[in-house]
Amino acid sequence: MPSVHSPRKGRINTDIMKQCLALCDHMLTDLEKAKRPVLKATKCSLDNSLYDHRVGFLTPGDKKVSTELNVSSVKKMSRSVFMLEILLRNLETGNVANKRELYYVSKGEIKQNPLLKALDFADQDESDEVIDFICEMIEAYREELNCFANDRGGQTYSQQLVVTETLSDGAQAVIDLSQLGTSPFQPKNRPQNLTLKAKKKIDFGIIIESEGTANTLVANGFTKRHNCIVVGSQGVPSNAVRGWVKRIQDQLKIPLYFFGDLDAYTLQNIYRTLKAGSASSLIRNSDFSAPEVRFLGVLPEDIKKYDLNDYSVNEKDAQEGRALKKAKDALQNDPFFRDKRNKGLAEILEWLYKNKRRCEQQAYYSVAPRDPQIAEKIIIEKIKKGNYV
Amino acid sequence: MTKKSAKPAAEEAPKPRASKKITSSSTAEYFSKNLQQVGFSSPTKAVLTTVKEAMDNSLDACEDHGILPNINIVIEKMGAGTMKNTDRLKIVIDDNGPGIPENDIAKVFGEYLASSKFGRGRCSRGQQGIGISAATTWALQTTATPVRVITKTKDQRKAISCSIEVDLKNNKGIVRDRQTIDWDRNHGTSVEFIMEGRVQLNGEAGLLSYLRGNVLVNPHMTLTYTLPEVGSATYERVTQDVPHVPDATEPHPHTMKLGEFLAHARLFGRTKLQTWLKTGFSRMSDKVITDMWKAQSLPANLLDKGVESVSDESLKSVYAAVQATQLMAPSTQSVVSIGEDAMSLSVERLGEIDFFAVATRKPTICDFKPIQVEVAIARVHGAGIDGDEPVQVLRFANRVPLQFDKAACAIVKAITTVNWRSYGLRQPKDALPTGPYILAVSIVSPFIKFKNASKETIDASDELVEEIRRALMQAGQRLSRHLSRETKAADLEEKIQHIEKFGPVLVDTLVRITKSPDKRKTAAYEGLKKILGRDTDEAQTKLASAETALDEANLARKKRLKAFRDEDSALEASRAPTPEELEAMEAEASEDSSSEESFGEVSGDSDDAPKSKKKKKSDEDILSVFAPEKTKSKATKKDASKKGTAKKAAEKKPEPKTTAKKATAKAPANKK
Repeated sequence: MPSVHSPRKGRINTDIMKQCLALCDHMLTDLEKAKRPVLKATKCSLDNSLYDHRVGFLTPGDKKVSTELNVSSVKKMSRSVFMLEILLRNLETGNVANKRELYYVSKGEIKQNPLLKALDFADQDESDEVIDFICEMIEAYREELNCFANDRGGQTYSQQLVVTETLSDGAQAVIDLSQLGTSPFQPKNRPQNLTLKAKKKIDFGIIIESEGTANTLVANGFTKRHNCIVVGSQGVPSNAVRGWVKRIQDQLKIPLYFFGDLDAYTLQNIYRTLKAGSASSLIRNSDFSAPEVRFLGVLPEDIKKYDLNDYSVNEKDAQEGRALKKAKDALQNDPFFRDKRNKGLAEILEWLYKNKRRCEQQAYYSVAPRDPQIAEKIIIEKIKKGNYV
Repeated sequence: MTKKSAKPAAEEAPKPRASKKITSSSTAEYFSKNLQQVGFSSPTKAVLTTVKEAMDNSLDACEDHGILPNINIVIEKMGAGTMKNTDRLKIVIDDNGPGIPENDIAKVFGEYLASSKFGRGRCSRGQQGIGISAATTWALQTTATPVRVITKTKDQRKAISCSIEVDLKNNKGIVRDRQTIDWDRNHGTSVEFIMEGRVQLNGEAGLLSYLRGNVLVNPHMTLTYTLPEVGSATYERVTQDVPHVPDATEPHPHTMKLGEFLAHARLFGRTKLQTWLKTGFSRMSDKVITDMWKAQSLPANLLDKGVESVSDESLKSVYAAVQATQLMAPSTQSVVSIGEDAMSLSVERLGEIDFFAVATRKPTICDFKPIQVEVAIARVHGAGIDGDEPVQVLRFANRVPLQFDKAACAIVKAITTVNWRSYGLRQPKDALPTGPYILAVSIVSPFIKFKNASKETIDASDELVEEIRRALMQAGQRLSRHLSRETKAADLEEKIQHIEKFGPVLVDTLVRITKSPDKRKTAAYEGLKKILGRDTDEAQTKLASAETALDEANLARKKRLKAFRDEDSALEASRAPTPEELEAMEAEASEDSSSEESFGEVSGDSDDAPKSKKKKKSDEDILSVFAPEKTKSKATKKDASKKGTAKKAAEKKPEPKTTAKKATAKAPANKK
């Protein structure tokens, strides 16, 4: 089996290729022996998630999803092998494609070969499901199969940070963030190719839920007055943001703080994912979570302390209602929130569930309406006083 | 200042208007000017209402006299009408009912609000006695032709044939051209209207939908019709049981208003107050009255007074006391049910039904009135109902089809609130479910609250809607059991197809990925065949067992229906004729044979007439169970009518032998 070079990523994908070919060969051998092939994939769900504070992120348990060839599974198995062939061809040639593009590539293949018509995907959800199944089966990130998501979020500002990117041809690009003017630096979905260096000691990094608020802080001089890194997460962190923060944590070893809204959705879907990964990405949490990130706020006590404007949760709102329901479930079943080390976070979640209140990160601006630096001052004060969880 | 304003005040005062003479008009005058209020709002509705009123009267009369109804409807076009888009039509409705006593003929067809059913609190179809007189009025207004009536009771030797007009001034029927004639039957009525109208056959408001509805809820009726464009069709009865319409129970005091209560009291004259309360109302026992008297501190001597000597004031206090007392809900005994078995047989007469579910709720109380709800859901094949179109809803109130103003009806409201998706039907949000289904809902109650005078829509009270919903859900659950069996069968079939479609693709792809030689490909194919062969066998076994289960369910249903039908026939065969019937049969036997033969022709016509297009295989399957009996009955009719050799057929019939010949020949008409 020749080693295959992926020119774009500059990475040899032989391990994955070998693994996939071995899998297919095994299936074929089973068929030759009139034995039913079985595909096993890691079960990526909360009930198969483990959390150990020494590890710091959610890891998969022993549960596997087995698919044996029979009348019910023959369609799924054929589709998986069909999509795997497309992905392997991309790996061989070094081409990349996102999930939408893969959906259309599969459509094109089927158009050319009428025998494949039965495999046709009715919509992208169906092909996405097959791609995710393949990833879970071979325990690979989809980026490792050259299937990339849209790079979203992660806009980073700093006067001290210098990033070195190893390009696909082996060349290196050096980016000094202080030289970018008002433009931020944005990491890619596989930030493992980036190396970080500090020109001057960096005191802390702060990840801000709202991209807009991050921009306001920087525009008002936050990064000029403080030796720090400001990252906008733009809501639920994408793989790019998660991998990027992990990179900052591992390479710079600086204190990291998360600053966002005080509500169940932010705590569970944004902060927990950033810090410990998610149940649906169990197989890649090790590279896509930053366990050192602390929750700076908004904290429940801040509401009283700074007399912040808060309001009750609109349970009729689908997202807010669902998040509240999920909070109850998380307190009972999520190993992250049940871990003793995360008691403080669980208490916040419980407070949110019981009081059904929420407070936005921008509420800090109500403390001194004529002081544009008020949010910055509170953030710094909280960091100095250790007022975080 | 104008001249007018300058006039003295006395002159300015308006002169009192010349008082117009206040005149009284008769009920007939009122209705003749407001025929739209009683179902004659258009030429189309006029035809439908005429048929409906005549049929309702026939069915009610037959039920009252325990007769199995044979109804024959003929509508003929006689040329163009004078009104726009109308035809001159001859509408004949003919039955084997008890006939109308001569003195009542004019009242029935020519007098408004002349009814034997008004306010009796029974579940009869007709109530007020308006409809058929309105049909006579419409015929007179549009063609100036009176209604022609032939009627004969069993006591009359000859039938009476006459024409009836409406004397609008005096609300009286006028009899013209009276003659006595020999008729082809022992009793019955035939009415013939010549009127302008338009025959609408199809659609929810069409004549066919109305007739099909009647066929469904009257399993004991044999209906023959001949209509323009569609020709003739006959629906034979599927049960020999004439529904028994229970007598009304006494009114429940909580359903009465003060004025009604006082008026009710006045009907009882010298009857003691206690006796009046006990016998004039339901749910008022001696104990209830004694307890009430104590609780409300009413004077004890009042109970022994005659009702007429009790003052209004005292009656008012009695009324208040009754209203304040908790009483048992009204009795439900006054409702009449079609029954699940009879409805099951009847539903199959509707067309190519491949499956149905029926549910009959127990009688209950809604809005303080006794009521019973029955539901039938049938899936139709080849009925031209598209999969995306709403189901066909058949609504019935006291076994009368309702065809207009569907949206506001309690039945439709109930249907739309049921989640049909959970039973396997498709349903847009807050709408009727869709698909090739007939959904029939029958509500029977002596006090149905209609929204309008023409009785087209049932008022949707919360309690009633809920009761209908429950019946629908009950039928829905039965439907879903069947559908799930079907789905399982389809699912297994799909799986077998999966194997054939996906298996080879799987092998080919694996061979391509691993770049394996053809030898491996062949071996893998062989292996795959073995694996999937095992699966196919297993899938086929499952499919077969699912199909067997479905067949068994259908067979069980057929057996149940057969048992019901056999029981029905056995009951009929074992029942000795009543003295009245014997007398009638003897009288008939003494008449000349023409009546028998002409009746035979009617039967013969229906046998020889082209079979209804709607009478399809499924119907025959069910009926084939009874084929010997059916054949015998047909043969008998033919023999009687064409060869006059009824004797042979009569020999097969049980006692009494002397009357067997006639009894056999008359069987369909005269069984009870």
